[in-house]
Amino acid sequence: MALPLSYGWRSLLARGMRTVFTVAVIALVVIATTLFWSLIASLKRTLVSSGSAENLVVMRKGATNDGSSQLTLESLQAIRFFEGIARDSEGNPLISPELVVQPFFATADGGRENVLVRGVEPVALLVHDEVSIAEGRLFNTSSGEAVVGRGVAQRYKDASIGSELKFGRGTWTVVGILESDGSSFESEVWVDARQLANDAKRTLPYSGFRVRVAKGADMDALARRIADDPRFALEATREIDYYENLSSSANTLYVIVVGLAVLAGIGAIFGATNTMYAAVQARTSEIGTLRALGFSRAAILFSFLSESVMTALFAFGVGALGAWALAIFISWLLGGIAFGAATFTTNVIQLRVAPVDLLMPFALSVLIGVFGGLAPAARAARMRPVDALRKA
Amino acid sequence: MKYLPFVLRNLGRNKLRSLLTASSIALAIALVCILRTMPAGLDSFLSSIASNTRVSTHNEAGMVYAMPYAYLQKVRAIPGVVAAISWQWFGGAVDLSKGVAFPNFAVDPEDFGRVYEDWNIAPQALEDFRKYRDAALVGRATLEKNGWKVGDVVTLQSTVFPMQLSFRIVGEVPNPRATQFYFQREYLVQAFQASGTPIDSTGMIWSRIDDPDRVEPIMRQIDEMFRNGEAETASETEKSFFGNFFSSLKGIVAVIQIVAGIVTLCIVFIAANTASMSVRERVGEIAILRAIGFRRKIVFSTLLAEAAILSTLAGVAGALVSLGLTLMLRNLTSSGPQLGPLTGFIVTDTILVQALFLAFLIGIVSGWLPALGASRRSVAQTLREVF
Repeated sequence: MALPLSYGWRSLLARGMRTVFTVAVIALVVIATTLFWSLIASLKRTLVSSGSAENLVVMRKGATNDGSSQLTLESLQAIRFFEGIARDSEGNPLISPELVVQPFFATADGGRENVLVRGVEPVALLVHDEVSIAEGRLFNTSSGEAVVGRGVAQRYKDASIGSELKFGRGTWTVVGILESDGSSFESEVWVDARQLANDAKRTLPYSGFRVRVAKGADMDALARRIADDPRFALEATREIDYYENLSSSANTLYVIVVGLAVLAGIGAIFGATNTMYAAVQARTSEIGTLRALGFSRAAILFSFLSESVMTALFAFGVGALGAWALAIFISWLLGGIAFGAATFTTNVIQLRVAPVDLLMPFALSVLIGVFGGLAPAARAARMRPVDALRKA
Repeated sequence: MKYLPFVLRNLGRNKLRSLLTASSIALAIALVCILRTMPAGLDSFLSSIASNTRVSTHNEAGMVYAMPYAYLQKVRAIPGVVAAISWQWFGGAVDLSKGVAFPNFAVDPEDFGRVYEDWNIAPQALEDFRKYRDAALVGRATLEKNGWKVGDVVTLQSTVFPMQLSFRIVGEVPNPRATQFYFQREYLVQAFQASGTPIDSTGMIWSRIDDPDRVEPIMRQIDEMFRNGEAETASETEKSFFGNFFSSLKGIVAVIQIVAGIVTLCIVFIAANTASMSVRERVGEIAILRAIGFRRKIVFSTLLAEAAILSTLAGVAGALVSLGLTLMLRNLTSSGPQLGPLTGFIVTDTILVQALFLAFLIGIVSGWLPALGASRRSVAQTLREVF
């Protein structure tokens, strides 16, 4: 016969302070790992969600990002009418030639950061169909107007609609706000491509092309055809792979967070083991009585184990709530967390604990509960009822 | 001191518990050490590499906006400028699929040693750097990470220009955190000429000023000189330059600091739990000690010493563990230039001292309440309860 779960649960309550300590330790471990994990996950989500599965990024061979690639007008003309590129209702190919530069923007606290400014043509909104103008309108060509991402509007001065924004060599009038569901486009400024090329004194007008692939067309075949064109040294990558690659600089942080989880987890296991041993010791006579009453070794083992797992799960709940609240607080305090991606430009990231970010801390808590309870529960189960009763 | 054997005996009483507690504290201290290396790396980078007489001049619009190379001569001609070099980002990668693993620049070798005279680069290395067209000076961190040594030939594929160049390493920048890779500008210029598109611009100019008091006026003079010119410039001290360059890391550093704080709090709980457990077990014993004449102060301080010794010993172990783990981390991670000085993972003496002090403090804090409670308990009451 198994011992009811309520035996373990009541035992926890009976040990008040000690349970609180153990819960606190595990909860703190959960908060620490969740917070760190969410930071990286939020960072990756921001970058990875920027790519569209239907788009290709065309750059100069060997360039690793928009910022270091330069392309000619001729190469655009050459690939514009390749088969497999989607068309709009008037038959124009959905290919967005873009120029990327990284000028300084002044931050509110007097510092400066590199912001990604993307020179585009109106077709850009069709190719990047996840990006939309949330407020105001798109810039007019050659008019010195700019639209800014939601994150940019919040972080830098003079970046709200109607303001005169200074960057590069000129001054730009902000006429609209871009939104794209939190992706890194919200950390960008979009202006007229030709005007930007003039401002940046770039002889080659483009840094890359974004190509929307037609529905049903073979994406890899199109990518190969672009790359194999002998006239120009071009390279085409899936847009999602491109952003995945940009976010790889965050992978170093993953190594650290896993290390953190392992070390803190082991520490918490030791702590939990300690507490459970004390619990077993304090209840020696109780265990003896239970055994004498006929409860099996397995029942005792399971009972102590479930007691420890219950503690860990409860602590996980407390920790998850704590981490969630702390993340909101930190985000509010810092006004979003900046991260320089591979282009050395600033991405504004909202630190958020998503449900999937809790999976790792949850698994960690279960492990802490199981491994913390295993040795003490085994000791309890091994006790001979006669000895246990005599000792008491 | 004469109670030390008594305290140690008590610690050895429940060996398993002492071991478990010490291990958890040690691991947590190791964690705190590792986490602290990240912000400390940034701090020490900013304070050690950054000199107050070195000035950077770059295009006012941003780092990717170029300046005419001719600006270098104009800056050199200013009285008070001891030496100046140009700096061109090459964005070279050993393996393109792994990206740019360390920053690499084309510089002017003649003045290099004088602009960076505080870096203690060997005179022979500087001479070879001037003498050989394909020479490269490489930071010690990058040398160690790649297993390179002086005399090796390495090839970098640029991610900025369509070219690939081979370099011969002639010397090192003797700083364990230095990741930079420098080579001759002339080598890059020749490669550009060979490809038919000459280069006459540069990304940045670094100059050394003779007197810290003249830094401000000379920076103003430089920017004034290029006002309304082909490229307007912004000059700032090295410290301010790198401070701005890495300002986007502030948010991440803040989160890391908070996490380190939480882990510390965690240790306090673990240690306090143990201290209270061992005190509770011993109430009867403590009452007897008191009854046979030991004073409250003695009881209190021996219990406190027990917690402090355990925690400090664990701190020592944790610090040692962190040294080993950071060594592993250094080999495991590839530090791109984006995270920069955050991922040096070097446990400095300061961090070690702080960690030991933290461990000691945790021992005191966690032992205080249980020890106080035990020493204050009424003797008669306890004896009656226990026996």
